Amino acid sequence: MPGANDGHPRDSGDRPGGTAPTGQPRDSRNAPLAARLHGVSRSFGRVVALNDVDFELRPGEIHGLLGENGAGKTTLARVMAGLLAPDRGRVEIGGRALEGGGARTARELGVAMVHQHFSLVPRFTGFENVLLFNGGGWTRRGRLRRGFRERVEARAAELGLAVELDLPVEELGMVERQRVEILKALAGPTRVLILDEPTTVLAPQEVSGLFAVLARVARAGTGVVLVAHKLDEVLAAADRMTVLRGGARVLTRPRGDATEAGLVAAMVGRGGVGDGGRVTRKRPDGAPADRAEAGDAVADGGGGDQANPPVAELRRVTAGDPEGERIVDLSLEVRRGEIVGIAGVGGNGQRTLAAVLAGVRKPVRGEVRIPREVGWIPQDRVEEGLVGDFTVAENVAFALHGSADFRNGPWLDWKRVGRTAAEMVAGMEVRGGGAGDRAGRLSGGNQQKVVAGRELLRSRILLVAESPARGLDVRATAQLRGRIARLARDGPGPPGIVLVSTDLDEILELADRILVMVRGRLLPLPPHGRHPDAIGHLMLAATTSSPTPPPTPTP
Amino acid sequence: MIEIAALSSFLLSAVGLAVPIALAALGEMVSERAGVINIGLEGSVIWGALGGALGALAAGPWAGLGTGALCGGATALLFALFAVRLDTDQIITGTAITLGSLGFTGVVFQGRFGATGLALELPTVPVWEIPLLAGLPVLGPALFEQAATAWVALLLAPALGWFLFRTRWGLALRAAGESTVAARAAGERVVRIRILAAVFGGCLAGLAGAHLSLVHTGTFAEGMSAGKGFIAIAVVVLGRWRPWGVLAAALFFGCAEALQFALQAVDADLPYPLFLALPYVLSLAALAGWFGRSRAPAALGGASGG
Repeated sequence: MPGANDGHPRDSGDRPGGTAPTGQPRDSRNAPLAARLHGVSRSFGRVVALNDVDFELRPGEIHGLLGENGAGKTTLARVMAGLLAPDRGRVEIGGRALEGGGARTARELGVAMVHQHFSLVPRFTGFENVLLFNGGGWTRRGRLRRGFRERVEARAAELGLAVELDLPVEELGMVERQRVEILKALAGPTRVLILDEPTTVLAPQEVSGLFAVLARVARAGTGVVLVAHKLDEVLAAADRMTVLRGGARVLTRPRGDATEAGLVAAMVGRGGVGDGGRVTRKRPDGAPADRAEAGDAVADGGGGDQANPPVAELRRVTAGDPEGERIVDLSLEVRRGEIVGIAGVGGNGQRTLAAVLAGVRKPVRGEVRIPREVGWIPQDRVEEGLVGDFTVAENVAFALHGSADFRNGPWLDWKRVGRTAAEMVAGMEVRGGGAGDRAGRLSGGNQQKVVAGRELLRSRILLVAESPARGLDVRATAQLRGRIARLARDGPGPPGIVLVSTDLDEILELADRILVMVRGRLLPLPPHGRHPDAIGHLMLAATTSSPTPPPTPTP
Repeated sequence: MIEIAALSSFLLSAVGLAVPIALAALGEMVSERAGVINIGLEGSVIWGALGGALGALAAGPWAGLGTGALCGGATALLFALFAVRLDTDQIITGTAITLGSLGFTGVVFQGRFGATGLALELPTVPVWEIPLLAGLPVLGPALFEQAATAWVALLLAPALGWFLFRTRWGLALRAAGESTVAARAAGERVVRIRILAAVFGGCLAGLAGAHLSLVHTGTFAEGMSAGKGFIAIAVVVLGRWRPWGVLAAALFFGCAEALQFALQAVDADLPYPLFLALPYVLSLAALAGWFGRSRAPAALGGASGG
């Protein structure tokens, strides 16, 4: 490899993570700021996403960024990463202005962002992805710098990021992809690391692992911005936190001064969250929460309930998608009025199961009986759930046009559609646009509300919900979960609901019975296993390659 | 003895026919790796043939190769300005470029040389006969009695392989073809990469066109590109977007074409045009995955989001 010796001292300046001052105490107030935003504003069309926001990030701190959906968190993060130019205001990274140059300049100044939807090239190997984001991996002549691979590996080991670097990223699970994404961000000198909702793809046990990594990163002097919507997580991990509401900064507090109630009030800004309240976290260790009284009609799934035949039935079904996610020889029955919770680490077959239940994927083997119309809140709502160029009303129409309510002879009753869409927008509290606005203009969380609202409308028989609250804020989450719970007791013929989620709290709160998805199969909970730790162990037994059986939980 | 001579001349002809296909296909491969499918490639080939002819008349055959490449590159630049910079649909834009080029080259040619069918005689690029090696039986002439363009094609394969898979710029280019979002997040300038890649592909297609007029025939005729640009696009598929694969696929197309000519000459009782169709059938099979997993760059043909 002749190019490695073309006149550069080999370790010049690009030792991974090397620039930021190390050894400083984490809250050294005199150190130059890692990042500073001054009076930043940004609008999209008529929607003001950020309004005159100031934000300071200190080196060595983990700074939680909180807010409801559409509060401007992601916009702020993207402005800081140079991916969006602010309309007004100034962004400084390490004391130097980030002007014009955008992502490339931000990258050179040491900003790295871990996106909510990972920005990895799926067919590149982990190492190629790391290289793509790190100019330091190359000589000036564009050849691979000698020793870079070893440095990346050393960096990974130092941060506790075990990751397979030579497989295409598309063959990795979500957790490993996130590790690649983080390693990619941190392989070069990094002043600012921004993570947008990083915990949504993780199992509970993995979240603490991620936070341990972040703590190590911060200790080395990098400023970490943690965009999140789960308060307990931010409270556990962040040194300081900032709350955005309606595009403006409401407060910034060190952890010691922050309480959950205070933060929620700041996020919601109405002195409380109303009836749903913040998500009450039930940790039932037996009965299925407060729905027990309504559950008299609910079979436990195993027994053949004559009065309530299954609305969906899979018998020894094997299916898979091109990415290799699959279900194997899987059987499942869903009856009216029950919520079946499918827990598990992402990528174990949930996506395929949901697609089969929704009728969009044909099984390779086995028997599938599903109703003609299925409500489906897909995992990737933007791709599979919405047409961005359609208005919200049109998005409602194309899913519901089969329903007799919306038909007028051969025509679609647009007035009715418009009214329904407007009601849905109001009911789901979609912000940033109305029924007549393009769906693509809404923020991620609000797009999701549109999909969820629409699918709830058409779930007369069966609803398949994949992490329905993913990316929603506290208030919207509580609301949506309340609606799903109510739907299952709705009237004389409530639909059957399959709730696929990586969020255990969600499953525990809503599900009548819980199954754990492990490598394409569904495992029942052991007796008295309705407990996060027990479920977590069952989930993780699948992802670790060790063949140890799941530990028997102690009730 | 006759059979060996026939085989030898068949191979010579096959390699000669493969050269323009290989040049255009290697260029198109680079373009597609960056996410741009240039259906206007045929336009670059025909402009290259005409530009090569004009350049050769003005300043000799070597200059003709240069002007041919430039004309091909300019055609691709026009395509890229629309399809990449302005994000117009790549397929429609490319089709327009191809059809327009076939027409306009005819207009320019007739304007310059008159509408008569008078055959134009061009100075040709000499064939390099490597001493001794060219005398080898069977393969000698095919390998060592070719013009400079053949060597360009042969050397390009490893060079492009090295560029695409070993250098920083190759990685950035492939990223632009796989995921514009990820490439942009990495700070790469997707629009610029794609335009450069398309222009590079156009230059090679132009060189392929110049090869047709200055090496292969020594004349120019309207529509003489005869689908070479489209064949190149099929060759990229059959070659699975890899340099050596593309080179091999081009040779295969060359053989099929040579075989067709040979059968025509001996007047065998065979439906020889079938041999011309065979490579396309195989390209379809390659697309359908009959030869193992082969996938186009994920962002191929997609918006560049300037």
